[in-house]
Amino acid sequence: MDVSGDWNLIILPRVINDYDLDFAKEVMSLPEGKTMIQCYQCSYCTASCPVHNYWDERYNSRHFIHLARLGLIDELQKRADVMWRCVSCHKCTHRCPKGVLVEEVLKAILKTMAKKGLIDEYPSKKFDKFFTESVLEYGRIEDGELLFGWIEKQGYNVVKDPILKKPIPFLGETPEWLKQLVMKPIKSMNISFLVLNAKHMLFHPRTKNWNKFKQVLRKVVQEEGGLT
Amino acid sequence: MAKSVLVIGGGPAGLGAARILGKLGIPTILVEKEDRLGGNPILNHYHTLIPRKLKPEQVLGPYIKEVESNPNVQVKLKTELTACEGEPGSYKVTLSNGETHEVGAIVVAKGFEHFDPRRKGELGYGLYPDVITNLELEQMFSREGRLYRPSNGQLPKRVAFVFCVGSRDRQLGVTNVHCCRYGCALSGLQAMEIKQHYPDVDVFCYYMDVRTYGTWEYPFYWAPQEQYGVRYVRGRIAGITYSPADGRLRVKHEDTIVQRPAEVPMDLVVLVLGMEPSAGTKKVAKILGLAQDPDSKFLVPSEESGSNIISNKPGIFIAGACKGPIDIESSLAEGEAAGAEAAAFVGAKVTV
Ligand SMILES: Cc1cc2nc3c(=O)[nH]c(=O)nc-3n(C[C@H](O)[C@H](O)[C@H](O)COP(=O)(O)OP(=O)(O)OC[C@H]3O[C@@H](n4cnc5c(N)ncnc54)[C@H](O)[C@@H]3O)c2cc1C
Ligand code: SF4
Ligand code: SF4
Ligand code: SF4
Repeated sequence: MDVSGDWNLIILPRVINDYDLDFAKEVMSLPEGKTMIQCYQCSYCTASCPVHNYWDERYNSRHFIHLARLGLIDELQKRADVMWRCVSCHKCTHRCPKGVLVEEVLKAILKTMAKKGLIDEYPSKKFDKFFTESVLEYGRIEDGELLFGWIEKQGYNVVKDPILKKPIPFLGETPEWLKQLVMKPIKSMNISFLVLNAKHMLFHPRTKNWNKFKQVLRKVVQEEGGLT
Repeated sequence: MAKSVLVIGGGPAGLGAARILGKLGIPTILVEKEDRLGGNPILNHYHTLIPRKLKPEQVLGPYIKEVESNPNVQVKLKTELTACEGEPGSYKVTLSNGETHEVGAIVVAKGFEHFDPRRKGELGYGLYPDVITNLELEQMFSREGRLYRPSNGQLPKRVAFVFCVGSRDRQLGVTNVHCCRYGCALSGLQAMEIKQHYPDVDVFCYYMDVRTYGTWEYPFYWAPQEQYGVRYVRGRIAGITYSPADGRLRVKHEDTIVQRPAEVPMDLVVLVLGMEPSAGTKKVAKILGLAQDPDSKFLVPSEESGSNIISNKPGIFIAGACKGPIDIESSLAEGEAAGAEAAAFVGAKVTV
């Protein structure tokens, strides 16, 4: 839009010209998105949310719900970089006076955005997948393997053992934040704990009789759409 | 002391008063300027009433019947009060049909008038056929039993309710600063009626605050939202335009939550009208010397009384929407209270 009359000041129009109501319908068609409709924008959830309060105020569950309900896609996309930052503490859901399952609704919004190709697959979703795979495979998770396997997925060059081809912690490339994070507690840990951890890395403990059960579980999770 | 009572206005409040007076055996004259009883809900063909979702005939019909059949009550239609002399306990009143009566007490229940939305030119009422009032929507339901766009007779895909038209608006002068009280709740009901019959129509309510006070919160705010998916958008509609390209209206507002200007297409826009004191209310205030709010011109109760039906004139009682926005149930109840006060004032000895 030219506001000067002689084309020396051009601004992009900010006017909302329409709603995308199909988007909202799709969110609410997901089981976890149904309660979105109940929100009356009081912001009890946002006021309680640690991510909003201590990390980035652009992370605002109340606002995401308003945007999703009217289908204001460009506004949602503007916040795509923060929307996946939920730490699933469920304070929002426990406090909402209208019974909105806020945490679940936010996941439904993200899922719908991903499905419609409105955002790239967000990092926490990638982690969820990796986590689920680990549980499905062994019936439990192994912290070290999960962490370094994840770091490898992020593009770091990790060193693997020659036989089982599993990442060996801290031998290869390690993100700086992780080094700092881990060094402190490691110094105070006793030797036998570290040995146990290393053993678990090499010989991943499994839940007893897991092989049979995992086939059933995988099937169920798949049918429920948990692997998409 | 004269033992009869004059009730002015045959709406819910006047009916409540006349009914109880008749029941108590007090000679009562009920004057109504129109040709039938029932007040605005009946005269203007409201469709379904908040809060009990009944028809006006269901709520007011029994009152009208009782009043018309009680031999103690003389109903005078197409009649107004023109003059009043005398003092408390024996007022000499002159009616527009030339009659004069001596009455011991008076109940004033002259009600309200609907705001004329032409005074808000930017909303395009009278200019675009698909901008209608909530009263016209009631009448569309009650007379024609279907929802359509007046411009082409077709079902709208989207309907917007514009709250507070003629209310809470200093631009119109100090007269229209009050809240209409019924508007948010009635819109919730109308929106639900639309969704019940046409589930695919998307309905939006543009609000500054949603004032469905008291027990109306669930049935007229939560239910439209939770059970019918009515969307509430915060922002006062500042203009309505028409786009010849697609034949749809645009509602211009700021979505105050997103903080962005918006001009969103709509097929039917419903203006939620405010309530103003009726011309009759203003007239009677002069004739009887009743105190009025300096701004809104609604009648105000006596400063000494804790009750809001006691006027500043002894023996004159005020009830219903002539005192400001109010609902039908409360109007009936206030009328009944005012009627009972009037009965006590004329010294009625009641035997049950
Ligand atoms: C669009 C709309 C919808 C509404 N819907 C609802 C609803 O669903 N539920 C609800 O509870 N409330 C509703 N209300 C509010 C409701 O209409 C009022 O509460 C009610 O009508 C007030 O009753 P009243 O008797 O005080 O006044 P009125 O209904 O205004 O009656 C006053 C009567 O006095 C007569 N009169 C006026 N001047 C004179 C005169 N000079 N001499 C003799 N008679 C005179 C009038 O002709 C009229 O019959 C609605 C209001 C509006 C504007
Ligand atoms: S607490 Fe509940 S109702 Fe309030 S803004 Fe959050 S989701 Fe909406
Ligand atoms: S569950 Fe997520 S959105 Fe809810 S309060 Fe915790 S971090 Fe915030
Ligand atoms: S009741 Fe609602 S529509 Fe009416 S003036 Fe008050 S806030 Fe506005």
